[in-house]
Amino acid sequence: MSTIEQRTGRTSAGGDDGTSINPIVAEVVRHGLLSIADQIDVNITRTAFSPLIYEYKDYAVGIVDAEGRLICQSSGGIPLFVANAFGVAIRDCIAVHGSDNIHAGDVFISNHAATLGQHLNNVVMHAPVFVGEGKGEMFGFMCVLAHWIDVGGGVVGSFLSPKATDIFQEGIQFRNVKLWAGGKPQPDIYRTIEVNTRFPHMALGDLDAQLAGCLLGRDKIIELVGKYGRSVVDQAVEIMWRHSEESARAAIRSIPDGTYEASSFLDNDGIDLDRRIPIKIVVKVSGGEMTVDYSGIDDQLKGPLNSGREGGAVACAMVAFKYMAAPHEPANDGSFRPLKVVIPDGKFLSARGGAPLGQYSAPLATVIDTILKAMVAALPERLAGGHHGTMGIHAFSGRHPETGELFHNLETSHGGWGASATRDGPGPFKTLSHGDTRDVPAEVQEALYPLRIEYVRVRTDSGGGGRFRGGVGLEKVTTALAPCDLQISVERTLCPPWGVEGGRDGAAPLTAVRRAGREDEVILKGSITLEAGDQVLSYSGGGGGFGSPLKRVPEAVAMDVRRGFVSRQAAHDDYGVVLDEAGVVLGDPTRECRARLCNRNSMA
Amino acid sequence: MSTIIAVDTGGTFTDLVAYDTATGQMTFTKSLTTYGDLVDGVCNAIAKAKTDLHHASSMKFGTTLVINTFVQRNGARTALVTTKGFKDVLDVRRGNRPFPFDLHYYRDPVLVEREHRLELTERVAGDGSIVTDIDEDELSEIAGALKKIGAEAVAVSFINAYKNPGHEERVASALRHQLPGTYITSGTELAREWYEYERTSTAVANAYVGPRLQDYVGRLKRKLHAEGLAKPFFLMASNGGVFSTELAERQPVMLRESGPVGGCIGACEYAKALSIPRLIAFDMGGTTAKCAVVEEGAFESRSPYYVGGYHYGFPILGAVVDIVEVGAGGGSIARVDERGRLSVGPMSAGSEPGPAAYGRGGVEPTITDANLVLGRVGAESFLGGEMKLDGARSSKAIRERVAEPLGFNGTGAEDEAANGILALGIATMASAIRQVTIERGLDPRELSLFAYGGGGPLHAGDLARELNIPEVIIPLEPGNFSAVGMLVSDARVDEAATFLRSLDQANLPEMASLFASLEASVKRKLSDGNDASRINMQRMAEIRYRGQKQGLKFAIGDSGTADEIRQRFEAVYARRYGHCDPSAPLEFVSLAVVALAPMQRPDLAGLTTGTRKSGGAVVTPGTRSVFFAHLGRRTQAAVFQRRDLAPGFSHSGPAVIEEYGSTTVVGPGDTFRIGTLSEIRVTIGNEGRTS
Repeated sequence: MSTIEQRTGRTSAGGDDGTSINPIVAEVVRHGLLSIADQIDVNITRTAFSPLIYEYKDYAVGIVDAEGRLICQSSGGIPLFVANAFGVAIRDCIAVHGSDNIHAGDVFISNHAATLGQHLNNVVMHAPVFVGEGKGEMFGFMCVLAHWIDVGGGVVGSFLSPKATDIFQEGIQFRNVKLWAGGKPQPDIYRTIEVNTRFPHMALGDLDAQLAGCLLGRDKIIELVGKYGRSVVDQAVEIMWRHSEESARAAIRSIPDGTYEASSFLDNDGIDLDRRIPIKIVVKVSGGEMTVDYSGIDDQLKGPLNSGREGGAVACAMVAFKYMAAPHEPANDGSFRPLKVVIPDGKFLSARGGAPLGQYSAPLATVIDTILKAMVAALPERLAGGHHGTMGIHAFSGRHPETGELFHNLETSHGGWGASATRDGPGPFKTLSHGDTRDVPAEVQEALYPLRIEYVRVRTDSGGGGRFRGGVGLEKVTTALAPCDLQISVERTLCPPWGVEGGRDGAAPLTAVRRAGREDEVILKGSITLEAGDQVLSYSGGGGGFGSPLKRVPEAVAMDVRRGFVSRQAAHDDYGVVLDEAGVVLGDPTRECRARLCNRNSMA
Repeated sequence: MSTIIAVDTGGTFTDLVAYDTATGQMTFTKSLTTYGDLVDGVCNAIAKAKTDLHHASSMKFGTTLVINTFVQRNGARTALVTTKGFKDVLDVRRGNRPFPFDLHYYRDPVLVEREHRLELTERVAGDGSIVTDIDEDELSEIAGALKKIGAEAVAVSFINAYKNPGHEERVASALRHQLPGTYITSGTELAREWYEYERTSTAVANAYVGPRLQDYVGRLKRKLHAEGLAKPFFLMASNGGVFSTELAERQPVMLRESGPVGGCIGACEYAKALSIPRLIAFDMGGTTAKCAVVEEGAFESRSPYYVGGYHYGFPILGAVVDIVEVGAGGGSIARVDERGRLSVGPMSAGSEPGPAAYGRGGVEPTITDANLVLGRVGAESFLGGEMKLDGARSSKAIRERVAEPLGFNGTGAEDEAANGILALGIATMASAIRQVTIERGLDPRELSLFAYGGGGPLHAGDLARELNIPEVIIPLEPGNFSAVGMLVSDARVDEAATFLRSLDQANLPEMASLFASLEASVKRKLSDGNDASRINMQRMAEIRYRGQKQGLKFAIGDSGTADEIRQRFEAVYARRYGHCDPSAPLEFVSLAVVALAPMQRPDLAGLTTGTRKSGGAVVTPGTRSVFFAHLGRRTQAAVFQRRDLAPGFSHSGPAVIEEYGSTTVVGPGDTFRIGTLSEIRVTIGNEGRTS
């Protein structure tokens, strides 16, 4: 398709690739398809049972063609799902069943680790869409991926065991199993699901929401194809892919050709605690294509931080690319055609079948951040300093002292994001691999669980110093009011969020347990039993700064001090800003202090 | 003789409608909104209408003051007093980023900066018990600090106050004592629901607009009384009813949406009068289109509402009419991007410079320009001929900025491009309607489309065809319909409280006593200026399956047993989601009371707006060439003046019905008749509809 390479940027009435439909019809059809995905998205959040879906947005809705190519995806859901898990599941489905054995009225589920490469909670459900005379032509698949609350395995919730060493400890697998066949539910599968989850009621409730979404979406696609005709819809999809591909190539062409590199590392895999996990990224930009090369990253890990090629390496490259190039464009198969991924098998982002994947998403925010770090020199005006980068899981579970009911309260951290060339870093937000994910309010936690949130406040001096300061992290203290268990998974404590273009690093995160009469005990990964009165201190990281802190406008530093984002000490030591008693900038002492610091920096 | 008057201050115009209770005659005036002082615009409208306020039996006002204060960030110097450890709740928010791939996502600035948030040692537990008493010394220090800051308004919001508002009440009352003249509000006065960020945000927003609204109401009061108004007056609230001035001054944040709400109220009244069980109220103006579902003569409420929109704005708890808004209006701009893709909206040319056709410097083509080029709007008859449209400018804009970039050439190119602009506008509006219907499990085929606003009647036919809606209804005065809706609105107060209990019989006495407390509270709020004996209460409950987040809010009527409540829940749930689980346990999330005090108002059947030819007179329409999308070409259409059409008149499309402020387009294959309330009822033909 050489025409794609042409940068005409102009579509006449009738495309260059054999399409003949009016561009307005193409746009109306595109709109129609996107709105189907978005409508199903709304319906899923409204009917799901598990908070991981309706609050955490751990789901995705999409439409793919008969070969698994992504037509469109809903705009809700978390960023990691932009990687086309649907296509991977559908290609596996065709491989397993053969196209001839996929019929109207079938519905499949798959969480097969070796193909999808995500933790087993993530279950893709898909329904084939048949259109035309007597519903004889396959158009594609309506798909809904959802995080199931529990699929068995060693721990409650299945994915949080820090010690899992193979996938079989993490739950049950379904490899493109027919949940419905020819319009009829398959009771054997329902029963199998029911007895393999700790929360059958919730899991089956979510499954119902997922199923209703697949079936309603399927019928809406049939209606749309019936209205415009198969050929018009197919052509509209081709045009949509071509436009997205052209946009992606144009975005890459705006980056100077070259080879860009960056590294970072993770603390450990939860098993070998003293062994760091190196992440070395090489990005090559050339001729309108971008290649993300992961050859330099660590090998497959013993612990459950692995992901498969599609769920790990490919997903990270796609997410980073979206952040760089096209944040507001809906993703489809065309969006990523000029993006290539190089990774040998057996790396921790391309783990082989059998590897534990429970916390597969934990390292991904750092991987994405590192890809962006590689590109920041080429795109300083578009990118930013590093962000806090860890999920910062601290999950409380146990029996409620009054009701005796089992509870599980999964909390994750919000931290600072990196500063950019024009503004202080935003936040506190969750990570680059989260999106419209809301936390659970303190009042809800206190009403439902035996917990008290003592405070949630800005962590002074956590934002990396810079001409523009990194976003601030938070300090939170939670008191257990009854005995309960705590699971913790915190990363990036040794590789703090980096400053760029001369900016300072942000503060690294930290989690500790405080018990009466004992010293605070730092816990980063693992489980611990809490007694009533024990407190959990959770400090999230701040974002990296941008540019030298000595170039920050002194009045902005004074304002930060007044608001408590920066201490007087740091104003003096890091920013070289001297304030009087009332917090007003003293001009001459500040100039002298900055000159001194500048000298010291150049000596160092 | 007496009159009922409604005045709606909008972005561009201040509209006044006066209804003469003796004759049923409605009169309308429009005058420019005066931004320096909105009261002047109101007085101008009253003067222009030559209305004698001595005879006014009731006056209602809608105002954009509250929302404008937020948008322009020119409210009071506000401080927050909150529980020790929680002053950052305004910055922390919920940690979410609604645009997932934006590295530079920032929310709108907070209303109260960190240095103006003061923490007090006090603590209420999650079950409402007191953990730590108020530190009285600290409270005195805080009062001093507030003086020093020069706070004009103070919001008091404590953690878990929804469970036990005692501390908030004590502190608010102490501060009122110590800081006379300062506007003081507390979170639980506004909302007794959990979620500390949302409730604190509501309290802060209320404080922020409080002093300005007080000032506005005070001056308005003096002016109106000077003009002879002897009766109290009311302000339109976002919950779909009007507030007394006293309540409005205490809860100004509940006045944030007034114009769109008026239209929804009007739509409800028509639905009741015409016995239409379900309809979609569709309002298309210059910048946006809005839609809401009306079922059994009532609309649904939604909370929270985001000032500045969900993506960037801050939340306010409290009932607001559930309206979905999309960026498609008459002024929506059509653009072709560098990849040859046409888009329409959300950018709008507004009224300045406005569409190219206005000749006020607008050069980009808009939906209005497309309508003009296609003959759907008459160049000479826009706003009753008060404003001539320039078709040549529209043609040029569409030809150069849409047709040519898309490669459309030759005869019919402009029509094709203009039709494309409308097609995309329709696609955007249709998704908004699909969203409000699919969320409720409704099938658009069972609904009527009730259209108003300047652009609603123009596009309702095509929208109905797209959505397979069989009938379109256009009320009288669609261009002034928000003001008409205000005329027929009642006084209304909504109040909700979080109530976390399982649905079983043992919890019903507690439910009843919470309802009683809510009812007493709304009754107090409603009794200003209303006859307390005529207040009508409706009990609502938000219930969910245990473990679910999203509850369903529905009227529980006088259900006295857990089984009855369960049956009602299951009926609503099954309709909305297509399934329900009779064995799964249910739980309450919140209880709410809606209280309505009926007000004197017009009878829709008696409304007239002008002289009309008698029923038997022969109407001779003009004709003009109009392009119809589902025909794919132009044809001659009959052109009627609405004032000529009496109830009972019917005709088949293609036709155009013109009136001041709007135009109704009836497609070929469609038919229309004038109904008993003088409404236009268009039956959509089957052609072009999918089954």
